[in-house]
Amino acid sequence: MQSSSLYIERNSGLHALHPLTKLALLGLCLVLAFALPDIRWLLAAFGLLLLPLAAWGRILAPFARSGFSIILPFVISLALIQGFFAGGDTALLTLGRFAFTWEGLLAGLTVSARLLVALGGTLLLMLSTRPDHLMLALTERGLPQALGYIVLTALQIFPRFQDRARVILEAQQARGLETQVNLLRRLRLLVPLIGPLILASIVDVEERAMALEARAFSRPGQKTSLISLHDSGFQVLLRTGLLLAALALIVWRLLPLVRA
Amino acid sequence: MITLKHFGYRYPNTEAWALRKISLEIPDGQFVGVVGANGAGKSTLCYALSGFAPHFYRGKTEGRLHLNEVDVLESSLGDLAGEVGLVFQNPFNQISGARYSVREEIAFGLENLGLPPSEIETRVSQVLAQSDLSELAERSPFALSGGQQQRVAIAAIMAMQPSVLVLDEPTSQLDPHGTREVFANLDALTQERAATVVLASHKLEWLAAFCDRVLVLHQGRLVADGEPAQVLADEVLLDYGIGGTRYTLAARAAQQGGLVSAQRALPVTLDQAREFFR
Ligand SMILES: Nc1ncnc2c1ncn2[C@@H]1O[C@H](COP(=O)(O)OP(=O)(O)O)[C@@H](O)[C@H]1O
Ligand SMILES: [Mg+2]
Repeated sequence: MQSSSLYIERNSGLHALHPLTKLALLGLCLVLAFALPDIRWLLAAFGLLLLPLAAWGRILAPFARSGFSIILPFVISLALIQGFFAGGDTALLTLGRFAFTWEGLLAGLTVSARLLVALGGTLLLMLSTRPDHLMLALTERGLPQALGYIVLTALQIFPRFQDRARVILEAQQARGLETQVNLLRRLRLLVPLIGPLILASIVDVEERAMALEARAFSRPGQKTSLISLHDSGFQVLLRTGLLLAALALIVWRLLPLVRA
Repeated sequence: MITLKHFGYRYPNTEAWALRKISLEIPDGQFVGVVGANGAGKSTLCYALSGFAPHFYRGKTEGRLHLNEVDVLESSLGDLAGEVGLVFQNPFNQISGARYSVREEIAFGLENLGLPPSEIETRVSQVLAQSDLSELAERSPFALSGGQQQRVAIAAIMAMQPSVLVLDEPTSQLDPHGTREVFANLDALTQERAATVVLASHKLEWLAAFCDRVLVLHQGRLVADGEPAQVLADEVLLDYGIGGTRYTLAARAAQQGGLVSAQRALPVTLDQAREFFR
């Protein structure tokens, strides 16, 4: 599947879940990420809920790899920024007038852990769900067809776009336009690249719109789908449970604020 | 039956009419070829027959264009989609982009028509087999060669089983084997389902071999209309920048060189050429 989606084909229970069930799971993860009070809870959620789910989905390795490479820059920069600027009394390190504090480091790591839980939930969904299945699930529940279409095509067309940029670049190199020079000149060189790219894309958009018309996309009336998404009473229950849990968490966190 | 009466069309913001005063009737089940030099109006005629001019391109029309009882100029593209299928030139841009395999890509139009999944399965498998695409069924449509994409684009429209198929240079990226296959499949449609096929192409030999009728466009006008043997052998095609089939050109040269009697009718197909040079 040539697409810039993260989906990885596996035969697993996680893959077989209805996209909406996984979406509900993502919802719960997002709420967990922002509602859990401290880093121990967050890491527990990640280790005891997300990791086992990734293992169940047989996507543990890509889950860890993508998760790690996305979260690492955040961990470093948040730890540094918070460590130096969040204040606190326990200085771990002093650089002139600046102190790197334990409290700040902890704050940075906690925010990172929140991101990790949110990211983990997102990765679980993306790695185990075909984008077209997700869009079908959503359009079946009322998402406009056109919107679903745009998301799906964007995912598939984007790599094509990169291909084309590369082709134009190579053509310009062949004509003697330097394209491998320093950043500033490269930015200037982007200008002649952008022209043909935009022009070609406008023609593309027009033709692709025609292609859609020719395939009855704008025909009024009910559409059908070759894909049938498997759902079950249990999953409906599960979804309800996940959403109720998320709701309960929100209430539990907001209650003290309301009382005060 | 397709009916055009003094039909004309002008693209928006242009002075010249891309099609002028075209009158013709195409009965069901006819295989009609359209020839003309670049800019003669072949693509525009294809767009007009399928409703894209004016419903997609906008612009101005005059005269009338009917498909059976339906006034094409008064219908919407959504309504026409199941009735008239259009395959246009660039195969890459005909890939919907919303589906991941050739099988699903071909099913896309049928899903939009609201057909039941079992019917979609049947039709898709049929078309895949017929178009020699079964082996590519699970491949990404983006990972195919231009020629393969072209065959997918044609198959995707054929699967929708429109009563009229309009194709604009649909074999431009195909080799002779692939071209024959496409022409033969379309020919079969006209015979088995009485589908009407209108096909614009520069490949005169293939038009001569398969079409019931050939239309010649020149600067937006319909300047000739008749059987391939008669239309394509006409010397006037040289003036229109269309040329002739390789058989016609060779035969004419032979006649002019005095090698063959000037009385013999010029050939447009290989078989006729064989007779001619006997
Ligand atoms: N989108 C367009 N806008 C304006 N004029 C167009 C457009 N497409 C084609 N034309 C003009 O219409 C005429 C017929 O073009 P076309 O139908 O593409 O010819 P052909 O397919 O035979 O090469 C040409 O003069 C061309 O310049
Ligand atoms: Mg054309």
